[in-house]
Amino acid sequence: MKFFPFVFKNLFRKKTRSLLTLGSILLPLFVICVMGTLLRTLSGAPADGRGMYRLVVRHKVSLANFIPEAYRERIFQLGGIDEMSIWCWFGGKYIDYSAKNQFARFGVEPEKFLKVFDEATIREGSAADWFSDRSGALVGEALAKKYGWRVGQRIALTGDIYPVTLDLTIRGIYAADNSSALFFNWKYVEEALPRIKGRIGTFYIKAHSAEAVDRLPKQIDALFENADPPTKTETEKEFQNGFVSMLGNVKLMLTGICTAIVFVILLIAANTMAMAARERVNEIAVLRTLGFQKGTILGMILGESLLLSLFGGVFGIAFFALTFPGFRAGLMNTQMAGFAAGMKLFPSVLAAGFGVAVFVGLVAGIVPAVRSAQRSITDGLRQVG
Amino acid sequence: MLGIPLKYNIRNLFVRKVTTGLTVLGIGLVVAVFLSVMALGEGLTHVFAASGSENNVLVLRQNSQSELQSGISRDQVPLILTLPGISPDADGKPLASAELVVVLNLEKRDGGSSNVTIRGVGEKGMKLRPGLTLVEGRWFTAGKSEVVVSRSVSSRFRNCAMGETIKFGAYRWTVVGLFDAGGTAPDSEIWTDVEGMITDFKRNGYSSVLAKTAGRAARDQFQAGLAGDARLALEGKVERKYYDDQTSTAAPIKFLGFFVGIVMAIGACFGAMNTMYAAVAARTREIATLRALGFSRLSVLLSFVFESLCLALLGGLLGCALGWLAVKLALSGVTGTTNFATFSEVVFAFRLTPQLFGIGILFSLLMGFFGGLFPAGRAAFTKITNALRQVG
Repeated sequence: MKFFPFVFKNLFRKKTRSLLTLGSILLPLFVICVMGTLLRTLSGAPADGRGMYRLVVRHKVSLANFIPEAYRERIFQLGGIDEMSIWCWFGGKYIDYSAKNQFARFGVEPEKFLKVFDEATIREGSAADWFSDRSGALVGEALAKKYGWRVGQRIALTGDIYPVTLDLTIRGIYAADNSSALFFNWKYVEEALPRIKGRIGTFYIKAHSAEAVDRLPKQIDALFENADPPTKTETEKEFQNGFVSMLGNVKLMLTGICTAIVFVILLIAANTMAMAARERVNEIAVLRTLGFQKGTILGMILGESLLLSLFGGVFGIAFFALTFPGFRAGLMNTQMAGFAAGMKLFPSVLAAGFGVAVFVGLVAGIVPAVRSAQRSITDGLRQVG
Repeated sequence: MLGIPLKYNIRNLFVRKVTTGLTVLGIGLVVAVFLSVMALGEGLTHVFAASGSENNVLVLRQNSQSELQSGISRDQVPLILTLPGISPDADGKPLASAELVVVLNLEKRDGGSSNVTIRGVGEKGMKLRPGLTLVEGRWFTAGKSEVVVSRSVSSRFRNCAMGETIKFGAYRWTVVGLFDAGGTAPDSEIWTDVEGMITDFKRNGYSSVLAKTAGRAARDQFQAGLAGDARLALEGKVERKYYDDQTSTAAPIKFLGFFVGIVMAIGACFGAMNTMYAAVAARTREIATLRALGFSRLSVLLSFVFESLCLALLGGLLGCALGWLAVKLALSGVTGTTNFATFSEVVFAFRLTPQLFGIGILFSLLMGFFGGLFPAGRAAFTKITNALRQVG
């Protein structure tokens, strides 16, 4: 008897049951992949290589307060800084305030900014055009796609924190890991509102080396410790994690949900395997009579369970991978757009889903497998139905 | 038409203890997960839904979505206060409070940090929010660097207990009292005197003005007065409405709840279907006998659908119990998340409402109905002669 084909045949002996079980493993695994991707995006590491060594300097009390632009010179003198740019959250509204029209809008110093935000590549238009047009804007690829924007198109942003309406012309479209933001020249706002001149939201810094990244946050904050206002300097990753920490225990909640889901699949798969083994008590006794070892029987039931779970798991992961672009596009229209832009098909998440499938297959099969292997032949043959 | 006694089905469920148990537990867990996530969304919604009064008008700069984005200069305030519609207080002055809202980044007790709203209020600030009660200590004294902190914020953030000092570089505030706002928006805030705050934060004006009106007519009159004065460039929002607009904060959580709930429910439904198919298969001869005795196809169908519904209902009840336990034991107390309308912490408690339990039970019944329908169909259309002949 060939072992594998036999296990395979057994698996689809009861087609309805196997398909239903597949379905009930597939769907939860899909959910696990979604949750895993959310978790992974929340704890996302910044890009390697280009995009490294970045720091954000802000007012110590909160992002809503301003720091003087004059701090720039003093920070620069600390050394180890390649470039630094003003980086101001503008807020405001585009079309309306609905969730689907929310995206990040920052005022920056174009030339300096592109040296800091160096993983961006200009796909359409040119950086030079943006530099030379004070009312020009640089928009992300994902964002441009969402609104169907083209280079040369004009868009209006109505301010709220800064009561001014910006009439911007798109001069470039950039591609990067997260391309869902719009950047414009901060000078435009300063000219319209002279009273805010010299007071900015944050500085965005590109440090020269890992050593500088370690040293600068402490040095910068020490420099302004007794100044008015004091600053808080963090790496870009810490800065983003700050937002995650503001969300509260989201991570804990997502992990909790995932654990419960694994348990649900385990119950369903275990139920199926228990039923499958129960039906075959006679048959297994016959196999044993024919001389098959206990180990073979154990392997047979366990193998069937593992195979069933793997089928469900692989289909679930494939289903997730197929629907992912649509899922992401759907989220781009909600207030979670900025978050969705950072989502990818993370290999680690898919691997974890596969791991769950293996785990479920083994654990769900172990009890029926051991029981079937241990049952004495006479008891097995005597059993009816 | 004669119905098959319901007892038949209920007893059958208990014959196959392991299978029934596993299925019930599976359905129960799905319902419990759904309820916990929804309890979170519901708790968050409740904060906004219970906040604000219909008769209070919040004056903001035009186009401002929140108080944080708004700004009102000192010289605008007297103009606002002379507009018709504002109720007078006992002392004859208008019942209104010019306020400043700033967010502070504070360290949480359990690590990490979050933005907390600090609100400077005028002398009438308390009167405009009758739901607010002092639970410990006293109110702050104007002119001193004193604050009162909500009990929830005090328990979640460092340096916010009675008598402690909250420091931010040059600023030091002593906590002299704790208040409770009954689960509404001020429960996420720290309050102090507005004039002291303007000095310390070097602001040159206020964020908003909250004014009390006598009723609908007065409210409309006041709002029209604001809108009519183009020099002011201000707008008045009904306070109730202002908070309603922020409930969208809970939308992603509710979406997540329904997404997980529905996909998992379909998965669990397949599991229930498996159990019911097995139940039908094991009883083929029994079913044929019932049919031979004269029970109609419909009776058999209804009987098995009923059995499946019972199975699911057990799961649903178990799920509600698990969900309730989870919220009571593991998720009790207040928690917080960020309200992205104001970029600041909103403190809330998980909240299980009777409606949520109802939705949970309904969920489980749907799983039972669909899980039982096809197996019951198979049972009802069993060929009597073949089935009776079948062995085992």
